[in-house]
Amino acid sequence: MNNTATSDLPALRVVNLEKTYATGTKALNGISLNIPQGSFFGLLGPNGAGKSTLIHCIMGLAMPTGGTAEVMGHDVVKDYRAARQLIGLAPQEVNLDWFLSVEDTLDYHGGYYGMRKAERKERIDELLEAFSLTEKRKINTRFLSGGMKRRVVLARALMHRPKMLILDEPTAGVDVELRLELWKYMSRVNKEDKTTILLTTHYIEEAEQLCDHLALINGGEIIKTGTGAELKKHYNKKTLEDVYLELVGRGELTRSSLTGADK
Amino acid sequence: MTRVESLLPFWTVLRRELTRFWGIKRQTILGPVLETYLYISVFGAALGSRISHLDGYRYIVFIIPGLLMMSFAINIFSNNSSSLFQQKMQHSIDDQLASPVSNTQLLLAYGMGGFIRALIVTGITYLTALILVDGLPMAHPFLFILSFILIGLFFAMLGVLVGLRAEKFDDISLYQTFILQPLIFLGGVFYSTSLLPPFFKTLSQLNPIHYMINTVRYSMLGKADVNVAVSLSVIGAFGFGLFILNYILFQRGYKLRS
Repeated sequence: MNNTATSDLPALRVVNLEKTYATGTKALNGISLNIPQGSFFGLLGPNGAGKSTLIHCIMGLAMPTGGTAEVMGHDVVKDYRAARQLIGLAPQEVNLDWFLSVEDTLDYHGGYYGMRKAERKERIDELLEAFSLTEKRKINTRFLSGGMKRRVVLARALMHRPKMLILDEPTAGVDVELRLELWKYMSRVNKEDKTTILLTTHYIEEAEQLCDHLALINGGEIIKTGTGAELKKHYNKKTLEDVYLELVGRGELTRSSLTGADK
Repeated sequence: MTRVESLLPFWTVLRRELTRFWGIKRQTILGPVLETYLYISVFGAALGSRISHLDGYRYIVFIIPGLLMMSFAINIFSNNSSSLFQQKMQHSIDDQLASPVSNTQLLLAYGMGGFIRALIVTGITYLTALILVDGLPMAHPFLFILSFILIGLFFAMLGVLVGLRAEKFDDISLYQTFILQPLIFLGGVFYSTSLLPPFFKTLSQLNPIHYMINTVRYSMLGKADVNVAVSLSVIGAFGFGLFILNYILFQRGYKLRS
């Protein structure tokens, strides 16, 4: 498989990326972004900010209307096969095939990425074990609970051993126990396997704990990038959530305003 | 990437297509076989006793080429259109679209899925007909195979196109029930257009399915209402044209990529 990466290149390099949908909606307004290899990168922004569109453009699920995006030096449009070989995607929506069992879901995914049978089998056993899915391996995915489906989506994203993992709100609607379990696993994947992770989430505190780099996105533009500490210092705020609310123009909605403590 | 590794994505999408219809074989294989068998029994037995010969052949022998072609066409079309549509609706196709599988590989795999299903259904139907109907001829075996390949290309690509365009199940049934089946039935499966009054005969000649049925009929019986060489060229040209159209649509991500 061609999933080689050159270490001195950024994992993801986005330059002036634009996306205007056929309806005329401009979802990305010239986004530029560099994600260093091996980082755990958080992309934070409100609904409709352009997070999923950016991810879709990188993955080929949406066609950019301007600018470029490269995954470890491979252009996502011109050299899409090499670029996609390097990325694993866990989409926001659970998009499992109704006709396939858990095991087959992973097996077919591996096949799409050119993995041979023996390699697929070994990897499937490894992932089923890691995501506590071994007992469910023969069960059709449509009969699984929401949490189990989410595990399968994450296992599928990791199946072809991507160098970069894109997690688009992977824990939306997932209970606390599973959420923490998944974060623990993803942190390990990032640290031990040196897999670059791009995460979008609405859980800002978790993003602060997990991510070493953050970018705030709103209205199809990157507003600010930096570490959590840098962002808080720059905006003179106590929490990253307060920074986020300030940047998206909802500074009045602080946690303390809920209890009246700020009056 | 080795040759095997570059072909594996295509084979995997095709394997997924084969597994899909095989997993529901009562609906996708046995149902269509039984349906064609019923046509042979009911039309062949009931009408055959009243119409002893048509174009010099026993009625049951006369209708079998058309029935084989009808079964082949409908199975390819319904398989490809519904499979692609279902994957689009579930968004499970995103897993393929976000992978290194090329657009050409996707198009070929989706096209071939229905082709293989239709080969199984039509093959079983043909073998059944050989057992049930005495003296079923095969005048031009090579032409028989060639015509099914070209007809297969046409309907495989038509199915993919309709599956691609469809936004609800109704769109698929609209094509199948209101366009495809009437054209097949009026194309001369159960009768020879030479028996029709001049106006309806001319009308039949505007129906592309008429040429397909008659090409298969010629390959089996050695007689047809149309010029077979012209028919084959036209069927092939339309099939290839649809392939090119689908290829362009896949490249553009039409209704697949936003």
